[in-house]
Amino acid sequence: MTVDKKNISDQIDHLFRYEYGKLVSVLTKTFGTSNIELAEDVVQEAMLEALHKWTYNGVPDNPVGWIYKVAKYKAVNILNREKYKRAYASEVAHHLQSEWTLEPTLRHIFTDKEIADDQLRMIFTCCHPSVSTDSQVSLTLKTLCGFSIPEIAKAFLTTEENINKRLVRARKTIKAADIPFEVPTGNELEQRLSSVLETIYLLFNEGYNATSGTNLIRYELCEEAIRLAEIIASNPNVKSSNTYALLALMTLNTARFNSRMDEFDNLLDLEHQDRSQWDKELIKKGLYYLDFATEQNEVSMYHILATISAHHCTALTYESTDWEGILALYDLLIKIDKSPIVLLNRAVVLSKTSTPQKALEQLQKIKGNPAFYSYLPYYTTKAALHFQNNEVKIAIELLNAALELPVEKKRKNLIDRKIKEYSKNN
Amino acid sequence: MQEFMIFIKTKGDHLEGLSPEQQQAHVQKIGEYIGGLMESGKLKGAQPLEMDGAIIQGNKGVFKDGPFNESKEVIVGYFHIVAENLEEAVQIAKANPMFHDAEGAIEVRPIKQMDGIN
Repeated sequence: MTVDKKNISDQIDHLFRYEYGKLVSVLTKTFGTSNIELAEDVVQEAMLEALHKWTYNGVPDNPVGWIYKVAKYKAVNILNREKYKRAYASEVAHHLQSEWTLEPTLRHIFTDKEIADDQLRMIFTCCHPSVSTDSQVSLTLKTLCGFSIPEIAKAFLTTEENINKRLVRARKTIKAADIPFEVPTGNELEQRLSSVLETIYLLFNEGYNATSGTNLIRYELCEEAIRLAEIIASNPNVKSSNTYALLALMTLNTARFNSRMDEFDNLLDLEHQDRSQWDKELIKKGLYYLDFATEQNEVSMYHILATISAHHCTALTYESTDWEGILALYDLLIKIDKSPIVLLNRAVVLSKTSTPQKALEQLQKIKGNPAFYSYLPYYTTKAALHFQNNEVKIAIELLNAALELPVEKKRKNLIDRKIKEYSKNN
Repeated sequence: MQEFMIFIKTKGDHLEGLSPEQQQAHVQKIGEYIGGLMESGKLKGAQPLEMDGAIIQGNKGVFKDGPFNESKEVIVGYFHIVAENLEEAVQIAKANPMFHDAEGAIEVRPIKQMDGIN
């Protein structure tokens, strides 16, 4: 019985992830963007009802169809019951309130194409520039990816209360700004798409680089970011070279996700990763996306980063990496994004193509930049360069300074190991 | 594009003579018709009306109830559509399968366009 129950809740969990966002999107169109929470509630209730019924009667043959049916009825009942209580700013709501148009409307809005389009509209609604970036990410995870508030809080190393506040704020903003449920067109599209891609990339980086949360949740964040970008890419009116470039970047990095940890859950840098652990299928997929991205003659930050990632993914060993090629890409990147972090990464590459000494000279130029005060990679990277330059003492001093930073335990362990490694060579 | 109201009128229950199977097939046909209108974006709204209600005769502030006679033709529903012109609206009205199996009348009326305010 317990096994069965576990099995059923696993099945619902699975359904939840895959169907939640679709249903919330369709229902947001139905109720209008000022009623996003109502849409979430209806889906949540349908899922709970499924859990309850299935636990006693077993899982039906078509669980997805079952959930959709329950959600549909709930939605229609709410529209009829609360006909005059709320303002439903949608034509769909109007059609669902008439006996004549109810059935045809339900059939129409639950076709695969409409569902896919609604998910895309939902992405643009959640990532509307009038919503703050923090809230955009939280709302996207909650409504499109089916993450619970505790899960989002865990992923962002913050309290559930905090996440809840962000969600409330986001929904309020959307309501107040009367944001339409649509994919922008024309000139507006390009601008809005770039802000959507930024949010997706942020979401991905939370998963990829976050120092918090369990590995599982973080991997899921990466997967969700990729899934959202794939929804965008699959729409012929919206797909762009930049979307494919971002997809390539995220897919190639995800291919290395699990190899960044050793068996004791210690973080490993690129040099020490077991390349046979890299996910070859994902690398293939990433390179395929990159091909698409480079078909048009556009070059964005995503294109360059993805190509750098592709260089790493296709190098058989760390030593045989095409550092010259990567350096050229960084030189290109600097023209778009001259941030200290890009300069820091470029310095590492420079140490490979010329000498650690040269790299340190470059770093000297950006020394004292406030962006680095609590940026761990600055300390570890600089330490490594000094170590290679036979300045072991300075290297160890930098690492000791890094240990003072507010850093998660796993990273501290990595620094401790480095200190030991360097000390042996002292 | 112009908006039209299409009023559906019948005398009594126009589906009375049909068997349950025929009625079901009839309802399905209407569903497909309405679905098609929606897909093409021509339908703004459509609702059935109850057969009974009230008719009020008014004359300079004096009102008289009724008579409401169900044996007479009454409006049982409306379609609010957009069409290129009256001709297309009539085509759309005729395509409605509601009276392909039964008897009734359809009134197609352009919604009066406001000339605007100067």
